Amino acid sequence: MADLSVSFTGIELKNPVMLASGVWDLPYTELIDFEKLGGIVYKSISLSSREGNPPPRLTEIPCGVINSIGLANKGIENFNKEILPQLKDLGTEVFVSIFGESIEEFAELTSRITDVSGIEVNISCPNVKEGGLLFGADPDIAYNVTKAVCSNTDLPVIVKLTPEAVDIVKVALSVKEAGASAITASNTFQGLVIDIETHKPIFRRITGGVSGPAIRPLSLYKAYQITRAVDIPVIGSGGITDWMDALEYFFVGVSAIEVGSAIFNNPLAPIEIIDNINRYMDENEYKNILEMKGEVNEERC
Amino acid sequence: MTTFRILPVIENRRLGPYTLLRIKDVGIHKYAGCGQFVMVGLSFLRDPFLLRPLSFLSVDNDSFSLLIKIKGRGTEMLSMVKPGEYLKVLGPLGRTILPGEKGILIAGGIGIAPLFYQSQWMRGGVLLYGAKDKRELVLVKEMEDRGLVVKTITEEKGGTVCDLVMENIALLKGQRVFICGPVAMIKSLREIIRDYTRETFVYLERRMGCGIGGCKSCAIKTGYGYKFVCQDGPVFPLEEVEIG
Repeated sequence: MADLSVSFTGIELKNPVMLASGVWDLPYTELIDFEKLGGIVYKSISLSSREGNPPPRLTEIPCGVINSIGLANKGIENFNKEILPQLKDLGTEVFVSIFGESIEEFAELTSRITDVSGIEVNISCPNVKEGGLLFGADPDIAYNVTKAVCSNTDLPVIVKLTPEAVDIVKVALSVKEAGASAITASNTFQGLVIDIETHKPIFRRITGGVSGPAIRPLSLYKAYQITRAVDIPVIGSGGITDWMDALEYFFVGVSAIEVGSAIFNNPLAPIEIIDNINRYMDENEYKNILEMKGEVNEERC
Repeated sequence: MTTFRILPVIENRRLGPYTLLRIKDVGIHKYAGCGQFVMVGLSFLRDPFLLRPLSFLSVDNDSFSLLIKIKGRGTEMLSMVKPGEYLKVLGPLGRTILPGEKGILIAGGIGIAPLFYQSQWMRGGVLLYGAKDKRELVLVKEMEDRGLVVKTITEEKGGTVCDLVMENIALLKGQRVFICGPVAMIKSLREIIRDYTRETFVYLERRMGCGIGGCKSCAIKTGYGYKFVCQDGPVFPLEEVEIG
């Protein structure tokens, strides 16, 4: 039987399949056997509570969804008191996604996080204090956020990049330089849907984040570019709905993957992916994930 | 207990302008409660990507039924599923409600579906039911057989549900009322019945991502901040929620 465990920069997972931030919450523990998962990333937490965007917050697109949830959450104090103790009982590695509206907020928030397996830094949110540009759009700002987080914690720091960066490889190099343990590549793409009855965007905030199988080739290419340029581990994320999608990511060299909106289509997708990767590795005589990853043949062109 | 399973369709028939799907599920009656719904989708397909929230129409010992109105591609594809084909089913979802032995049900169009399900638990009461035309008025006899007094109205002859409610406003006095129908109907009814009923509840509908309280997509503004139709509803006290 293949060994599915992965271990990188202070992170140890029983298998390389994680539940991505944003799409799930505690009610899913009734549906999915969390003990089987490699890890879970709890939805983005801010310093104080945020009620999120006015509805509508989500709609379907061909092969995916677009959302404008607005990072609704009850703040760090509620997370530490009410949510974390429940997550710790689930028998899997717990990561928490964090976001702030300023670099100072990222720093303070980080200092209040303990007792998790790592922090995933969401830099796909706007830098409200400095004009609203996404933190992750600019390599220098991404560096500063990562630095602020890393200097306030001893926990592994994973930075989740936005594909909206002008040059995502430059941002990846910056966050590595600033001390990131790993990179998640990548977050949702920005998109627009117009309501043809009102002639207006369906979301009050105009754009939303596109996810699902529709973006898989786009996200996979970002992961491919980053694994080639940066020598810290990469967690692949974007449009993974089954084991074959997951393999594509491993073959471009990621160390683990995150499954997100796939659970809307099939809540058992993460578990099925783990079982099928296991089967695939046995059938193809891979002993461990390391043997299987990064097989893309560069000589094709 | 909420589960995700692949279940076979055992019947697909027309009911007025709608499609009635019956799905085999032995033992579902033990855990499906009044007010609840399921998320359903075509098995093995990733497009349409989202499952569709549909309230129970009825629940028996070995099956449950759903009533589908074609609104877009997802519901159109669901309406074409043949007996022997399979659906992804997540549920039961949402909070159960106390139906009460009697009471007033107000349905507009396809809004009859969850109210028909609710009437499984009731012993009598009144149904005020409006639709576009006669063909859209379904399940009237079945509701009468359950002991409800049914009063109907159609837009082609007579007027809207609101007209029907105004004609029968005395019946609402001091009663528990349950409403399901289009947003415009709910908004007008709110004004009409405000001073009459003891309590009024409304069945709401929203596009949902997960259906189980994970994604925070189906937000609805209430007097207590945002609530979620999938987890806190789909039935809410009318005075608590902002409609439209």
